[in-house]
Amino acid sequence: MRMQVALPSRVDLRPRRLVWVLLGLMGIGLVVAVVRFANGIGAISDLSNTYPWGFWISFDLFTGVAIGSGAFVMAAAVYIFELKEFRPLLRPSVLTGFLGYIMVILALLVDLGRPERIWHLMIYWNHTSILFEIGVCVMSYTAVLAIEFAPVLFEGLKLETWARRIHRYIMPFVILGVVLSTLHQSSLGSLLLIQPEKLHALWWTPLLPVFFFVSAVAIGLAMIILESSLSASAFGRGLETPLLEKLARAAMVVSGIYLLMKFGELAWTGELGLLLSSGSMSLLFWAELILGSVVPLVLFAIPRFRHSPKGLLVGATILLAGMILNRFDVSWFAIRRLTDVGYIPTLPEISISVAIFSFGILAFILAARYLPLLDPQEKTSAPAEIAGAHG
Amino acid sequence: MSDRRASASRRDFLKLGGSSLGALALGAALPAPVAQAARRQGLLDSRGGGVIPTLCEMCVWRCGVLARVRDGRVVKLEGNPDHPHSRGRLCARGQSGLMTTYDPDRVLQPLVRVGARGAGTFRKASWDEALDLTAQKMLQIRDRYGPQAMIFSSTHNLSQTQFENLLGAYGSPNYGTQRSLCFNSMVTAFLVTYGIEEPARNYDNVEYILLVGRNLAEAISTSETGALIEALARGAKLVYLDPRFTKTAAKATEWIPIRPGTDAAFLLAMIHIIVEEHIGDCDFVQQYVQGCQQLPQAMAEYTPEWAETKTGVPADTIRRIAHEFAAAKRQALAHPGWRTSNFVNSFQTERAIATLNAIVGNLFEPNGCLVAASPEASGVNLGKPPQPAYPRITAQRLDGVPWKYPMVPLKLGVFQELRDAILAGEPYQAHGWFISRQNPVLSLPDRRRTLQALERLDFVVDIDVVLNDTGWFADVVLPEASYLERYDPLSVLDGQVFLRQPVIEPQGEARSALWIYRQLGERLGLADFFQYVDEEDYLRQQLAPLGASLEDLKASGRLSVATSKTGEITFNTPSGKIEVYSETLANAGFSPWPTWEEPPAPEPGQFYLLTGKVGQHTQFATQNNQYLHKYQDEPRLWMNMDSAAALGLQDGDWVHVTSPVGRVRIRLLATPAIRPDCVYMPPGFGHFSKALRTAYGVGASDSDLHVTYVDPISGGQALSQTFVTVERA
Amino acid sequence: MPKPQPFAILLDATRCIDCRACMVACSVENNVPMDDTRIWVSGPGVFGDYPDLHRATIPYHCMHCLEPACASACPVAAWTKREDGPVVYDSARCIGCRYCMNACPFGVPHFDWNAGLLEQPLISKCSLCAHRLDAGEQPACVQTCLTGALRFGRRDEMIAEARKRIAENPGRYIDHVYGETENGGTSYLILSHVAFGLLGLPELGPRSVNEVSEKVMGTTIPFALGWAAVLAGVSAGVHLHNKRKEAAAQPVEEKE
Ligand SMILES: Nc1nc2c(c(=O)[nH]1)N[C@H]1C(S)=C(S)[C@@H](COP(=O)(O)OP(=O)(O)OC[C@H]3O[C@@H](n4cnc5c(=O)[nH]c(N)nc54)[C@H](O)[C@@H]3O)O[C@H]1N2
Ligand SMILES: Nc1nc2c(c(=O)[nH]1)N[C@H]1C(S)=C(S)[C@@H](COP(=O)(O)OP(=O)(O)OC[C@H]3O[C@@H](n4cnc5c(=O)[nH]c(N)nc54)[C@H](O)[C@@H]3O)O[C@H]1N2
Ligand code: SF4
Ligand code: SF4
Ligand code: SF4
Ligand code: SF4
Ligand code: SF4
Ligand SMILES: [Mo]
Repeated sequence: MRMQVALPSRVDLRPRRLVWVLLGLMGIGLVVAVVRFANGIGAISDLSNTYPWGFWISFDLFTGVAIGSGAFVMAAAVYIFELKEFRPLLRPSVLTGFLGYIMVILALLVDLGRPERIWHLMIYWNHTSILFEIGVCVMSYTAVLAIEFAPVLFEGLKLETWARRIHRYIMPFVILGVVLSTLHQSSLGSLLLIQPEKLHALWWTPLLPVFFFVSAVAIGLAMIILESSLSASAFGRGLETPLLEKLARAAMVVSGIYLLMKFGELAWTGELGLLLSSGSMSLLFWAELILGSVVPLVLFAIPRFRHSPKGLLVGATILLAGMILNRFDVSWFAIRRLTDVGYIPTLPEISISVAIFSFGILAFILAARYLPLLDPQEKTSAPAEIAGAHG
Repeated sequence: MSDRRASASRRDFLKLGGSSLGALALGAALPAPVAQAARRQGLLDSRGGGVIPTLCEMCVWRCGVLARVRDGRVVKLEGNPDHPHSRGRLCARGQSGLMTTYDPDRVLQPLVRVGARGAGTFRKASWDEALDLTAQKMLQIRDRYGPQAMIFSSTHNLSQTQFENLLGAYGSPNYGTQRSLCFNSMVTAFLVTYGIEEPARNYDNVEYILLVGRNLAEAISTSETGALIEALARGAKLVYLDPRFTKTAAKATEWIPIRPGTDAAFLLAMIHIIVEEHIGDCDFVQQYVQGCQQLPQAMAEYTPEWAETKTGVPADTIRRIAHEFAAAKRQALAHPGWRTSNFVNSFQTERAIATLNAIVGNLFEPNGCLVAASPEASGVNLGKPPQPAYPRITAQRLDGVPWKYPMVPLKLGVFQELRDAILAGEPYQAHGWFISRQNPVLSLPDRRRTLQALERLDFVVDIDVVLNDTGWFADVVLPEASYLERYDPLSVLDGQVFLRQPVIEPQGEARSALWIYRQLGERLGLADFFQYVDEEDYLRQQLAPLGASLEDLKASGRLSVATSKTGEITFNTPSGKIEVYSETLANAGFSPWPTWEEPPAPEPGQFYLLTGKVGQHTQFATQNNQYLHKYQDEPRLWMNMDSAAALGLQDGDWVHVTSPVGRVRIRLLATPAIRPDCVYMPPGFGHFSKALRTAYGVGASDSDLHVTYVDPISGGQALSQTFVTVERA
Repeated sequence: MPKPQPFAILLDATRCIDCRACMVACSVENNVPMDDTRIWVSGPGVFGDYPDLHRATIPYHCMHCLEPACASACPVAAWTKREDGPVVYDSARCIGCRYCMNACPFGVPHFDWNAGLLEQPLISKCSLCAHRLDAGEQPACVQTCLTGALRFGRRDEMIAEARKRIAENPGRYIDHVYGETENGGTSYLILSHVAFGLLGLPELGPRSVNEVSEKVMGTTIPFALGWAAVLAGVSAGVHLHNKRKEAAAQPVEEKE
């Protein structure tokens, strides 16, 4: 949903104006960040001892990591399963993933009380801490993504030999990347395992990591669809509808599996009753499942829908909305608090996220303009189109 | 409530609190103001660290303290396990005491007023200048109007004997203390009845406790509060009379939300039952009680049914409680109370309490729960510096004792009258006011009148540790060293002598009261009355008859003195008995029996305005202490939620409270914890001295509202007798 | 030799008068900033309908869990559970992620929300006055408690004392020592006359909240290695398979 807000097709997308808007938003965020670093997190946010984590964690961390999952899904598809047809989608996905993770780290630097000590994660190990694992994974995976993306950069810098050299040894990194992704995508779910009494029973289950992983795959697929659709319209690039159609089918299957698992788990633990009895919690649960799984399952099952660019876009957007709602639910809405202190994210708080997001989009636009996002080994669509789009 | 939210917005104190933690480190870089005496004594190591025994002064209970010092700074106060009051424990105020010493708003140099009185503009002055000026003004007043034109006032403190020495030597009969605002009715009643000021309580074996508005869980006396809770844990029953559901009420077996001012009716009915049914300790009564024969008849009219109409308490409840109380016999205790300044009939309430204890015989040693001896007068004879006789005083006392208040003990006085005499100029005009360790601008009722009185005077001098509301109106403010920075005369308790000694050297120019009084004495030409070289010399002279050395006392903080304890009960009354029937009262034209006097009651639409301590503050003194501020409840006007609803008011609303003499604005606390016909304001807030940066602007002062009503017998102020209206602000 | 029992604080809510001496003592003893506290009042205060009223509050602070979730959760191992009871904090490690605050089922750790980078924001919570224990003293709050509502001793003795009080005073207490089993057991034990939930104490089972997450975490390395092996295998398999297919279908250029 936020993606749409960021890049709605009606808005004048002439890059120059957009770039200024993005720079403006980043500027605002920067000012807010200065206040935050000078006077503390409390100075700009509504976070409190009752809400130690809020919008940044739900949006920038939980959502950010989830929507970065396209990279590992595509890497796995192209490199491990050698589904070469997806090559055109690989580089944009890896770039999105890479930028996404940088954005996550930027947000964490704002959210951490002592950002200057982030490296402590690497030296003071706590083998019982899920967050330790996530920290290590996210940092390592960002490095892996950098390596995966490096060829593109080198090509852009006309250092093709370097690009090829990296390409040659890419497989171990791909495998490492997929392993790291699997770990931290699922571990984001595990992060909540330590709150069995606080996270609502509709969501808390030892299977949280599995749910997170499966939904991350669905999110990754939907992200690629969404992003391809958007960049196609934004950059006037040809849309890989047949490829996306396949992804939609995959997303449909994953959604189905996810749905089965979710309801299966509730049935298994005898908690189906909660689906109706938990008031607003039940509503949230239904909303995320209907949006995130049921609707995509149904829509993508309709071939006509799946084959239309608009249908793909709509389906993917709805899926993402539902799944992002899930991330917000587990990390925010569905957590019982010990005091009745409330939490409403402040504008400055949101402006930080907006700034980071703007940075991501700007970086993507620049990369799309100046880097060969299309794998030169692939000739399915004309690279000239990229250059020719806006002139 | 000091939940985390409430304290979450208070970081500013760290910045404001120059003395608090951040600045402590800064201060450490300066030469450590460690107490030289303690160092000489070997209580401190070379780096100025160690533990020094001394006494708390955050309230008048004066618990024993072990002060921990590091690098010449007090870092923690612990209760002294060897002191009968603290027994190792300090209350919240005691724990916070080092912040009173390190209060960034401490006055550390003498101040002389430069602007208009009350404008709060002062300049710093040297001690010489400030003392010379004070002495000169006092001499001027004495020369022009006579010594009686100078009023002296001070609240219970260890150097008070030297304050009294100053006023005696100066020759003024006009002495104001907190007593008439606090316990006149209790002390007067017990003097009349038992011949002692305040009997001690013993909770060791107590089984049945009656507290008449003695809020021990909030108006804290560490040891007694602890003893009460201990007794309750043991299974003792507690019946608690208070129009408010206080923290003590919460611990009571039975809370009786009695109509204010009608406690005497309740108690008289209890006496009625006990004597009527002969369920008291008849042997004891026959032997020790004056008037025992006629007592049933004197109490005849006070039936529980009658009391019900006065108190609102069902007759059966009163009857049952009387039975239970009598059944507990010597293990019953009707507490004499402390701040018993509630109504003009409070003296009768206290007389009834004295009687109730007497008729169940609980004054009997060894098991009795009320001890007919006051703990302080425990037969320790201290020395004192030699001095000439005081000049003879011929002038009448301005407070009306004894010419207007024949029953009020000379020592107690009637402080409110003193203030009103300044305004009336009758029987003569006062011209100066010397105040030490007291905050009459807030503690006297009717603040506006107090300010008018101050306005009327030629000269006002105030000794304090901060610029409190009274100092704000003074001409000269003399900074006393805080209780952790000074010596004071010895404290005597339970046959032991306790020492207050400096834990750190005084900050700035602050000096002890002993020093200040002597300096003034010299400048007033009264040096003969202050024959001590310094504080230590004064203490040595005090200790001389005991043959004890000051050095020993400094190391241990206390000294046990052998006293002879007679097991025999003697009552220091004209008859030598417990005077339930008092000839003295009769002679003064009052009822010789404990009797019912109808107190005034509010009109419809009006509320009784109640006052009462909170556990986190002392009187009008500690609101600027940042630690206590941190853990205090927001001061609000308590009103029963039904009454609030009837007025269309909601919890948290701002309201105006209006009395015949004033009006304040305060936030409302709609609560079930108070009678529907009462409201309550915690005292001690609403400071207007801007020099109290933490306390300034917090809450409102009930002293703005209280009307000055004086009990004609005991001279006690009636602090529950002001009726107010409340409306949305 | 059997290990000595950890220390524990026993709070008897029926004795607590909400005087807050413990709180001031804690703030002074531990140099707690003015805008923070390690111990606070919890509970409904006055409740009921006039004149049938009740009151209940407790001082609330770290429970010093036997299996502390904060320590389990902290990514940089800033928390240590000492053998003698206290769960203590190493501020030099903390990165301020606040995961411990989420993890703690009692809502105990606080963060310095209004401290900027230079003021070095930290987590704060009760340390059971570990430094005082080291000096052979009681915690500052216990030491000063006027009413004996707070007591301190070996955990088994405190539990025995609590049980004794329940047994000797039928009807006075709820028949449960909070913290004996909650969250795997704690070193702050509470006796109460009102439901523990009213006092703000969460309902918790005998298993520590970190149990499942620690189990899952324990499988991470084996899982990662296994998963890497599977992926490598699949990759190799697919590659071989495709090679073979390619070889078989040499002439065909593009499939789609
Ligand atoms: N924390 C703390 N402790 C203190 C002090 C302090 O300032 N702070 N001050 C010390 C001093 S100087 C004193 S005198 C004592 C005072 O100790 P207490 O004598 O206990 O006095 P208060 O708290 O002033 O008032 C007690 C109760 O009287 C109730 N009351 C008012 N009118 C009536 C009435 O007509 N009938 C009945 N039954 N109750 C009534 C009030 O609601 C209040 O709860 O406390 C001492 N201890
Ligand atoms: N409305 C209302 N009025 C009341 C009461 C009430 O409950 N409500 N209570 C009444 C009772 S019980 C009493 S006892 C009186 C008390 O009335 P006061 O004695 O007038 O009041 P305190 O607040 O005790 O005043 C103590 C003053 O001494 C200062 N001080 C503190 N330490 C030192 C020191 O070491 N040296 C010097 N020189 N000064 C120091 C403080 O800053 C403060 O200004 O008030 C009475 N008046
Ligand atoms: S009762 Fe509290 S304030 Fe009063 S002397 Fe004792 S510790 Fe100090
Ligand atoms: S109560 Fe919370 S902070 Fe304290 S030890 Fe347990 S988990 Fe850790
Ligand atoms: S905030 Fe500090 S102590 Fe808490 S989990 Fe994070 S690093 Fe550990
Ligand atoms: S044990 Fe120490 S740190 Fe913990 S609350 Fe008590 S005084 Fe504070
Ligand atoms: S010191 Fe004791 S009585 Fe006072 S609030 Fe703390 S636990 Fe309760
Ligand atoms: Mo008093």
